[in-house]
Amino acid sequence: MSVVARLEEHRLDPQAELGELLAQAGGSGALVSFVGIGRPRSSSGESVDELVLQHHPVLTARSLEEIAVDVAQRFDVSHVRVVHRCGRIPAGEPIVFAGAASAHRRAAFQAADFLMDRLKTEAVFWKRESGKDGSTWIEPTEADYADRDRWG
Amino acid sequence: MKILFYGRLADAIAPALEMQAPAGCSVAELRQRLASEYPDAGETLASRRSRACVGDSIVGEDYRVVAGDELEFLPPVSGG
Repeated sequence: MSVVARLEEHRLDPQAELGELLAQAGGSGALVSFVGIGRPRSSSGESVDELVLQHHPVLTARSLEEIAVDVAQRFDVSHVRVVHRCGRIPAGEPIVFAGAASAHRRAAFQAADFLMDRLKTEAVFWKRESGKDGSTWIEPTEADYADRDRWG
Repeated sequence: MKILFYGRLADAIAPALEMQAPAGCSVAELRQRLASEYPDAGETLASRRSRACVGDSIVGEDYRVVAGDELEFLPPVSGG
């Protein structure tokens, strides 16, 4: 079992993260990964140039670690890996990598899904979309909270 | 006492401010006082998803501040 949870201030390379997870998970039968990417348009259609993810000096890294460990304990997985950007992220660039490996596919799919539901609503970031039309703070929607709560 | 704010609360109030708070004042009382002084932050301060934090630990509404506390107000968080 390995759990990796990392806050990245500068650059997130999903291929490198996937490569490391694959190398670690050689003995597992399944690997599921997710990459979140900055959207060029807001939910209301305005153009977005960049996402700004403000973080807390202590609580942010701690929240990533706690979520990753919880997921690793809840599902029958051998490896969990979460890498999350902070700072200014141009639209189109990766924000988060979430991956899980397991002996059989179901646990890895569920672990990756649950990881993202928890990260969306509990990872300690404050997210702002910024573009030519101005700047808007983004918070989880009720649907995001419902997605997390469906796991019980 | 020093109070730090993040996200939309930092925009509406300030990233940090010094406030004269009587010893024993609760987090709930401080929220109300800040909301009356900074109406633009009122809705976020009143949200049950906004949390208070002392010494890098989340504290409840009935937590009473003591001398030397540095309080942080965290508006609703969102990763991913």
